[in-house]
Amino acid sequence: MASNLTKEKLIEMYQKMVEIRLFEEKVFDLYGQNLVPGTIHLYAGEEAVAVGVCSALRKEDYVTSTHRGHGHCIAKGADLRRTMAEILGKKTGYCKGKGGSMHIADFNIGMLGATAVVGAGLPIAVGAGLSAKLRKTNQIVACFFGEGASNQGTFHESLNMASTWKLPIVFVCENNLYAMGTRQSRVMNIENVADRAVAYGMEGVVVNGNDVMAVHEATIKAADKGRRGEGPTLIECKTYRHKGHSRVDPAKYRPKDEVQEWLRRDPIKLLKEHLMQKHSAAEAELQTIEKEAALAIEEAVKFAMESPYPASEEALQDVYA
Amino acid sequence: MVTKVVMPKLSLTMKEGTVGKWYKKEGDTVQKNEPIVEVVSEKATYDLEAPASGILRKIMVEEGVDVPVNQVLAIITSPDETLSETDMVAEKPKAEKEPEVLASPSAKRLAKEHGIGLSLVKGTGPYGRIGQEDVERFVQESHGVFSKVKETIELTGFRKTSAERVSMSFRTAPHSTIMMEVDVSHAAALHQKLHVSYTAVLVKVVAEALIEHSIINSSLDGNKIRIFESANVGVAVATENGLVVPVIHNAEKRSLQEIEEAIEELGAKARHGKLTEEDVSGGTFTITNLGMYDVDLFTPIINPPEAAILGVGAIKEKPVAIDGKIVVKPLMMLSLSYDHRIVDGAPAAEFLRKVKGKIEKIAGAEG
Amino acid sequence: MRKITYREALREALQEEMRRDPTVFLLGEDIGRHWGGAFKVTDGLAEEFGDERVRDTPISESAIVGTAVGAAITGMRPVAEIMFGDLTALAMDQIANQAAKIRYMFGGQPKCPLVIRTPFGAGVNIASHHSQSLEAWFMHVPGLLVAIPSTPYDAKGLLKTAIRGNNPVLFCEHKLLYPIEGEVPEEEYTISFGTAEVKHEGSDATIVATSYMVKKALDAAKTLDKEGLSVEVVDPRTLTPLDKQTIVRSVKKTGRIVIVSEDCKTAGVSAEIAAVVAEEALDYLDAPIRRLAEPDTPIPFSPPLEQYVIPNEKTIIKAVKEMV
Repeated sequence: MASNLTKEKLIEMYQKMVEIRLFEEKVFDLYGQNLVPGTIHLYAGEEAVAVGVCSALRKEDYVTSTHRGHGHCIAKGADLRRTMAEILGKKTGYCKGKGGSMHIADFNIGMLGATAVVGAGLPIAVGAGLSAKLRKTNQIVACFFGEGASNQGTFHESLNMASTWKLPIVFVCENNLYAMGTRQSRVMNIENVADRAVAYGMEGVVVNGNDVMAVHEATIKAADKGRRGEGPTLIECKTYRHKGHSRVDPAKYRPKDEVQEWLRRDPIKLLKEHLMQKHSAAEAELQTIEKEAALAIEEAVKFAMESPYPASEEALQDVYA
Repeated sequence: MVTKVVMPKLSLTMKEGTVGKWYKKEGDTVQKNEPIVEVVSEKATYDLEAPASGILRKIMVEEGVDVPVNQVLAIITSPDETLSETDMVAEKPKAEKEPEVLASPSAKRLAKEHGIGLSLVKGTGPYGRIGQEDVERFVQESHGVFSKVKETIELTGFRKTSAERVSMSFRTAPHSTIMMEVDVSHAAALHQKLHVSYTAVLVKVVAEALIEHSIINSSLDGNKIRIFESANVGVAVATENGLVVPVIHNAEKRSLQEIEEAIEELGAKARHGKLTEEDVSGGTFTITNLGMYDVDLFTPIINPPEAAILGVGAIKEKPVAIDGKIVVKPLMMLSLSYDHRIVDGAPAAEFLRKVKGKIEKIAGAEG
Repeated sequence: MRKITYREALREALQEEMRRDPTVFLLGEDIGRHWGGAFKVTDGLAEEFGDERVRDTPISESAIVGTAVGAAITGMRPVAEIMFGDLTALAMDQIANQAAKIRYMFGGQPKCPLVIRTPFGAGVNIASHHSQSLEAWFMHVPGLLVAIPSTPYDAKGLLKTAIRGNNPVLFCEHKLLYPIEGEVPEEEYTISFGTAEVKHEGSDATIVATSYMVKKALDAAKTLDKEGLSVEVVDPRTLTPLDKQTIVRSVKKTGRIVIVSEDCKTAGVSAEIAAVVAEEALDYLDAPIRRLAEPDTPIPFSPPLEQYVIPNEKTIIKAVKEMV
C-alpha cells in the first residue's frame, strides 16, 4: 500500500468511507423497521472504489451512477440529509421524492444521476464527455458500472465511441464478482473486464478495489490522461459487497469462506491500519471521526423522518420542462 | 303449478297501470281465461283473464293501487298446492326498457333540444338509424309545432304526489259536475256585519247539508259506501308548493265564529307550511274556491277518497228577474263534482239545492 | 413566395439553429461530409460547421441517443439522427427510460433538450425493417414530445421549435415527403407545438390525417369537392401535445370524422384520436368514428402488396362516402 497521499487527504478519505459505511448500515436498519419504501442496494464493502475515484476528481467533474449508488453520491459530496430524505421518499429529498434510492442525483456537484437500467449510464457518460470536449471545459466524467453491465451492448458501444472520439471519460468497473446472484465466471469467458479495453483501442487496468489509495492513484492517472485529450481509460476495481444484492437478498449463492475472506480485507479496516501504522494516526483520532460520522447520519435520519411527503399533485409535475 | 298474474302492458307506451276491481277473492276457484281483475291504464280499462286454472291463492295488489307493468298482482296455484314464503314475495319487475331506437348521438342531442320523441322520427341511415338530418327534416315538416325546450322541471315530491292523486281520482271516480247560481245578498250582509268570510259561511252551510244529505258525506271502499258521522269539511288552499286541504273537523257542530277562527288559523298555518298530519286528515268533503281569480264556474276534481267536491266561483253583480222585475244582485256560481258511482244526478242536485237554499236564506244578517 | 423541398426546409432549420446557438450539434450515422445523411438532410452542414459539430457515429443507436442524453443534461442541444424510424427500437431504453424520464425522476433538476430526427413511412419497397410508422410508441411515453410535420413549412417551423425547446422531441419525418415542395418564407418563423392546422375547410366530414397521409387526404378532398362533398382536413402537426380543441371543433362542425394514419390500426395514433373524439365530442357525432390505417401486418416488399396496405386517396374517398 504505497502512496504519496498526505495524511490529511487520507483522513478525508477515511471520513468519507466511514460515512458511507455508517450510512448504509443505517439504511439497512431503517429498512428493517419498514421505514424505507421499495428496496435498496447497499454499497457497504465497496467504499474504497467510490471514495478512491471521487477523491481524485474536481468538483466540476461529472459522475454517472447506478442502482447501487449511495456510495457514489456521498463520495462526490452529496448532502447526507437530502440523500436520506430521498431514500425515504420525502419532499425534501434530492429528487423531491420522485426518484428514490435508485435515482439520486445532485447536478450541482456534477452527480448526473443514478440509472436503474443496467448499462444505461455508459452512453450518457459518453454524452457528458462529448459535451465537455465540445465546450472545452477540461471536465472528466467518471462512469461507474458493475461487471454485469460490461456484457450489455451499451458497454461496448460506449467504450468504442469514447475511444474513437478520445473522450475524457474514466470508466470505473466495480467488479464485485456477482451480478445479482450470477457469478462472473458463469456468464463471461474472461476473468478481467479490463481486458476488454484493448478491443476498443483503449487502456484497461486492474486495481485492488479495496485499496482506496490504489484506486485513487489509478484515477488520477486516467483523469490526467483524459484532460490531456488522450482518451478514456477503463479501471477495473476488484471488490466485494458485504451484503446481498438488494436488501432482501441473503446472498446464499456466495460461499461462506469467500465472504469471510473479503470481510478480512475490509477497505476501511485496511485504511485504518495504514493510517495508524504509516501516518501515526491515533486510535482516538480515528474514533472521533467515526463518532462524528455517526452523528451526521443521525442528523440526516432525523431530518428525513421529520420531513413531509410530497403532495399528491406533485406526481403530475416536472414531466416537461 | 304456481302461476303469477302480472300487470299487462296494454299499450306500447304503457309503463304502469292501476288495479281496478277484483272480480275474484282469495281462495276462489278460477278458470283459465276467466276475467279475474280489472286493470286500468291511462287510456284503457281491461278485464284481465286468469292465465291458468286453479285457486286464486294470494292477491298481492289491492284495488286502486298503481303498479308498474309486469309486477305480480296475484298468484294462482293448482288446488293441491300451497304457497311458500318466497312465492309470496312480490317480485320487483325488471325495469321496462324503452324500445331501442337507433339514432346517432348528434340526432339524440338535437331531438332532446327540440323536445321530440325519437320514436316519431323516421331514420334514413344504415339499419334505419336516425341521423341529424332526419331530425332536422322532422322539425321543419312539423312547421315549428314542436318547440325548443326552454326549461325542464322534475316532477318530484309534493307535485308528483299531487299529480298521482289527482290522476287516480279522475281515473277511478266517474266525475259529473252540476252548477247552480246562488244569490249571496244575505251572505254578503252577514259578511259585512259579523266580519265572517264567505268561506266560513260556505263551510257551515255545506256541513249542515252534508248531515241532511248524508249520502254525499261518504266514501266508496271497494263495494261499500261508507257514510260518515261528522262532516269534516276541507278547504283547499293554494300554497307555494301546491294545493293543500286543511280540514275543519265536525264542522256541523261548530258555530260560524268557531269556523271562521279555524279557517284563519289553518290558512295561516298552510301559508307558512306548518300544517300537521292531523290538520289535513279525516276530510269527508272539500270546498275549493277560484273566485278570486275571476273564475265563474269550473269542474273541480274530487279529493279522493271523498264523494264530492264543491267549486266556488267569483261573486259578480248581475241583473236578475224577480217577480217580473229586473234587479241587480250579487251572484255566485257553485260547481259540484260528484262521484257518479255513489250518487246519481238527482241526489247530487238535491244536495246542491239545499246548499243554495241555506246560503240564500242565511239568518243573522238582519239587525 | 419561394418553394423549397421538405428536405431543404429541414436543412435550413438545422443550419439556422446551429448558427444561432453554438450548443446545437448533430450526430448520427453517415450525416457528415462523406455522405451528407442517408436522405441528404444534413448535406453540406459538415462543410459549414465542421466535423466536430456534424458528427458521424458508429452504428450504435443506443449509444447515439444515450450520448445525446448525456450531452443534453450537461448544457448542449444535440440533434441525433436515427437513420430509419424502425431502428429507434434499438435505442428504446435511452429514449423511453432515460431521455423521457430523466427530468421527472430527478425531481426537475436537469432539462433534457434533445431532438431525435428519424424518417418513418412505407412506399419505397424497402420492406419490413425500413418502412414502419412507429409514432404511436412515442406518443405513449410521458416526457417525450412528438412532432410529425407534413409540409416543408411545418417541418422547418417545428424543427426550430424542437431544437429551442427544453424537452426531448421525437421528430417524425417521412421518406416520401423529403422531395415534396412547398412554400416556405425567407423570414424567420417558428411553429408552436400543440397547434393543429385546418389545411382544407369543409362542412360534411372531418378528415384528421398525419404525415404523408395529409397529402392523400388533401387529394381526396379535391376529388370529393368536385362531387359536391365538402370535407375538412385537419393536420395535428404534433401528436404530443395534441391539439384536441381544433379536432373537436371540426367534429362539432361536421358531425363525421375519418382519422387517417399510416401506422398499424390497433393501438395506433388513430385509436388515441378516436378516443379523444368519443370523450369530448360524442354528442356531435352523426356517424360512427372511422379509422383508416395500415392493417395489422408488417410492411410487405412486393410493390402491389405494399400499395395494398397503405391508406390511399381511393380508400379515403370511400370511407368518407360511406359516412355521409
